[in-house]
Amino acid sequence: MSLLNLESLQVSIGSVQAVRDVSLSLQPGECRALVGESGCGKSVTAMSLLGLMPNAAETAAQHWQFAGRDMAHLTERDWRKLRGNQIAMIFQNPMTALDPTQTIGAQIAEPLRIHKGLSRRDAKKRAIALLERLAIANPAQRAEQYPFEFSGGMLQRAMIAMAVVCEPELLIADEPTTALDVTVQAEVLCLLQEMRESSGTAMLFITHDLGVVAEIADSVSVMYAGQTVESGSLTQVFTTEAHPYTQALKRAVPSLENPRPLEAIAGTPPDLRKPPTGCGFAARCSQRMAVCEQAPPPMSVGDSHIARCWLWHEDHPRRWRDKDGFTNASVIGRSRR
Amino acid sequence: MLNFIAKRLLSGVITIWFIATATFFAMHAVPGDPLTQEKAMTPAVRAQLEARYGLDKPLFDQYRLFLGNMLKGDFGISFTQENRRVNDIIREHFPISAILGVAAVLIALVGGITAGSVAAYCRNRWPDRMVMIAVIAAISVPGFVIAGLAQLVIVAMNNAAGKTLLPVAGWGSVSQIWVPALVLGLGTMAYLSRIMRASMLEVLSADFNIAAKAKGVHGWRLFFHHQLRNAVLPVVTELGPTIAAITTGGFVVELIFAIPGLGRYFVQAVQQLDYTVIMGTTVFYGAFLVLVVVLVDISYGLIDPRIRLHRGRS
Repeated sequence: MSLLNLESLQVSIGSVQAVRDVSLSLQPGECRALVGESGCGKSVTAMSLLGLMPNAAETAAQHWQFAGRDMAHLTERDWRKLRGNQIAMIFQNPMTALDPTQTIGAQIAEPLRIHKGLSRRDAKKRAIALLERLAIANPAQRAEQYPFEFSGGMLQRAMIAMAVVCEPELLIADEPTTALDVTVQAEVLCLLQEMRESSGTAMLFITHDLGVVAEIADSVSVMYAGQTVESGSLTQVFTTEAHPYTQALKRAVPSLENPRPLEAIAGTPPDLRKPPTGCGFAARCSQRMAVCEQAPPPMSVGDSHIARCWLWHEDHPRRWRDKDGFTNASVIGRSRR
Repeated sequence: MLNFIAKRLLSGVITIWFIATATFFAMHAVPGDPLTQEKAMTPAVRAQLEARYGLDKPLFDQYRLFLGNMLKGDFGISFTQENRRVNDIIREHFPISAILGVAAVLIALVGGITAGSVAAYCRNRWPDRMVMIAVIAAISVPGFVIAGLAQLVIVAMNNAAGKTLLPVAGWGSVSQIWVPALVLGLGTMAYLSRIMRASMLEVLSADFNIAAKAKGVHGWRLFFHHQLRNAVLPVVTELGPTIAAITTGGFVVELIFAIPGLGRYFVQAVQQLDYTVIMGTTVFYGAFLVLVVVLVDISYGLIDPRIRLHRGRS
């Protein structure tokens, strides 16, 4: 049974439809990358998964299940028991996400005190042990220090400790390496991977760095303009990128083996105050067709590989050729080169 | 940390010397002297009095004399208070002003922090609007008007109840502290609630506040552990000037509520050019404020570890 099953999440904040149609599913222990450019609704999705959207935001979903519970009608009381306990989050900027007036140790111990009812001493012991596992030297002294006495990489490790201390079933990491030096990024990624594997935690890894995705994810969901436009396993999405947006994203990544001019995606994302009625990407798409004026439903590309694009409609000529023995992958591959 | 405190105290001493000197010469620049009275006195009597109080000496000698006595902690004898020593006046009446002032500061702090936090939590909704309207009213209306209004309200209440619920004025019982303290602290409370609202709004949208919520922190724990401690710092910064405002504002309130505090003597002394009392009360208040500001500086470090100097913890 899947840990998280979210279908057609919609979040609007005032007149902005920040998330229009996002579907996500996660198996226990799975790491899914949520990829997309700034402003496409990744962070709003993450905040919604924690029930942390402001009151002014309206959240609705067709189906929303977590660990066998219906999440759509959760009271604030239930959410509080969940947050930091079963669902935890690692924030993008550890420099601002830690409370400047509390010791690192106290901040890591806090979820244990709230959710597990541990005493101050026991919680602190666990926090120090966790810091040690995260390769922080002199953890006992470090735990007594304040965030301003830590470096960026160390702060992100403290942030990770804070998130995993209650061994949550789902860990949401919102661009956890973006604010860090490149040299520290790899280290933090490794630690995250280690923590995840040792505790069997599922992870939703939000990023716009495709290199990181390839490193850490089992499966990928690509978001554009408030919608998931493609989702599938890592190999499916990376070898058979089905949606033109995913294809364009990949062409915008520099490659060492195969140097070529980088291609930026022409145009800008649509204004989510007045989202287009048709496909959100149509205005920037090189393979646009007349039918793209209508919103494409999610279409199956392969086994559990889904793209929200008319190219994968069963009446599309490419699909006819499928029947003559072509695989989807080869067709798309050929059409691109 | 000790080094820091020593430095602050030294600069405080210089400040006090400056206050004393400036006051001394300003005071002597005012036409007339303590012996100027409606009733003319004979030159012989006048000369005798001048000699007794040292007013016949050159101004600079008087200044030296005053500084020397001040260093010994002696402010001399009042000109107008029948041989009372200025030190005794301060000793007897300052505690009363201090109790009133401390009560006023406490009311202003607790009230300001509460009102500001409520306003920030309910941003742009009716509690916020109400607090902000009250703030503008409390800042704009002078203390003596509010004091008079408060007395009218008390009288009306007592009449309606047919007995004395609250005394209108006077000093001596606990029930006589709260109304003048509230009146005295009201303007400051209003000012502090504005500052508190602004800094709380900042905290409410800060990453660490969202991160704390994401950990499952909520309710009072979230408020006291994460929000208040971060938001209160600008309020603490204002505490020094606030205490100054409250002690100086105290004179008027003490007069209206017939409270025998030091403020009355301070005002009277200036009106009557009672040199020794002016110098004594001014230097005393100056020293008191300098001490308060140093204490406020030290308290920053207790609240915000980033300001703690030289790793004060270890």
